[in-house]
Amino acid sequence: MANLKDIQRRITSVQSTQKITSAMKMVAAAKLRRAQDAIEAARPYAERMRATLDEVAASGLDGSHPLFEPHEEKKTLEVVVITSDRGLAGAFNANVIKAVEALVTERKNEFAAFSLTIVGKKAIDYFKRHRASQISEAREVGPHVNYLEAQQVARRLMARFEHGEVDEVVLVYSEFVSTMTQTPKISPLLPFAPEAAGEGEEEKLPYEIEPDAGKLLAVLVPKAVEIEVFRALLESQAGEHAARMTAMESATKNTQELIEALTLEFNRARQAAITSELVEIITGAQALD
Amino acid sequence: MSMDLIVVTPEGESFSEPVERVVLPGAEGDFGVLESHEKFLAPLKPGPMEITLPGGQIEWAAIAGGFAEVTGNQVVVLVDECFKAHEIDIAHAQHTKAEAESELKALLEDINEEDRRAALEDAVVRAGVQIEVHGRSHA
Repeated sequence: MANLKDIQRRITSVQSTQKITSAMKMVAAAKLRRAQDAIEAARPYAERMRATLDEVAASGLDGSHPLFEPHEEKKTLEVVVITSDRGLAGAFNANVIKAVEALVTERKNEFAAFSLTIVGKKAIDYFKRHRASQISEAREVGPHVNYLEAQQVARRLMARFEHGEVDEVVLVYSEFVSTMTQTPKISPLLPFAPEAAGEGEEEKLPYEIEPDAGKLLAVLVPKAVEIEVFRALLESQAGEHAARMTAMESATKNTQELIEALTLEFNRARQAAITSELVEIITGAQALD
Repeated sequence: MSMDLIVVTPEGESFSEPVERVVLPGAEGDFGVLESHEKFLAPLKPGPMEITLPGGQIEWAAIAGGFAEVTGNQVVVLVDECFKAHEIDIAHAQHTKAEAESELKALLEDINEEDRRAALEDAVVRAGVQIEVHGRSHA
């Protein structure tokens, strides 16, 4: 029979763990709300951008841009991995890393080399141990995703693609489906494919373009790539907080169960102690008679 | 009579109001847009945006990198950043500019740092625009 004091000590310790997990859950919930707001805020920009780009591409006007062109020779595949900086978020980061490994295995025959652009401390930690020689860039997410950072990552990728250092770029990140579900998503980034390009009848653009289409595309296409990277970062950010919230909620539930079990054990032990004391007293009294 | 000016950045819509006239920093030079302008699309460079409100009052904003889409009575400006004059943190802008410039100076020799240099030059231009806009609106 466990000592009463020991059980009491364990209950206290589990209770303080529970305080931490439930506080973390609350913090994650607040951050999730903010992250969802950021996704909402980015939507109008992304939608307008997409619409304009599609219009320009569908108009069939001299729509060539180096970022549109697939490279004939496929030597290097760049994988952009996006995870979070912190753990305690269930399988959130592990799922993304697993998806990257699966992708590399799957496309091993197609490409001679792989290189990694990593955002998020968790992925940095993992790939430094397993694929250190393939890391081309690594940075942390920081407290908030901002557009300038996404822009820097995207610009470096575009420059390397244009210089022929990499022949294809794919993003691997967690898609924020709902608070309960985040699924790792693999989406091709470069060569960039405007949705309406190539097919459908050519429509005349209802615009005058100043100075000319080539210059406009030179501004539009990189922007569209940047916004893709930004969106992936935002999705990952929301997913991280959602995953942590779910993980902490179930941790809180588990500690609650543990506390209940321990309390039961404590009460049993206390009852046993009382019973044995009573037995002793009664036996003592009977001995006197 | 007026038209709507909508400024959208990746971090949200930062301006959406009827205006009388707007002057934008086009990649090929500044251009003004009045109501019922012909439909057109134009890339923009970082620069000051001059907004004339319906009352004739003038407002300035610093915008950076993007393009403008003019359709009938609507001007949509899609840019990376947009700071209205009163939103500009002048101390911060000056600090950013000075810091980027000094780092840039140290970097000039190294050809391998092309990306970094481009990013710094961009930072200098953007901060410069903010300082300019701040100065104009307080003139």
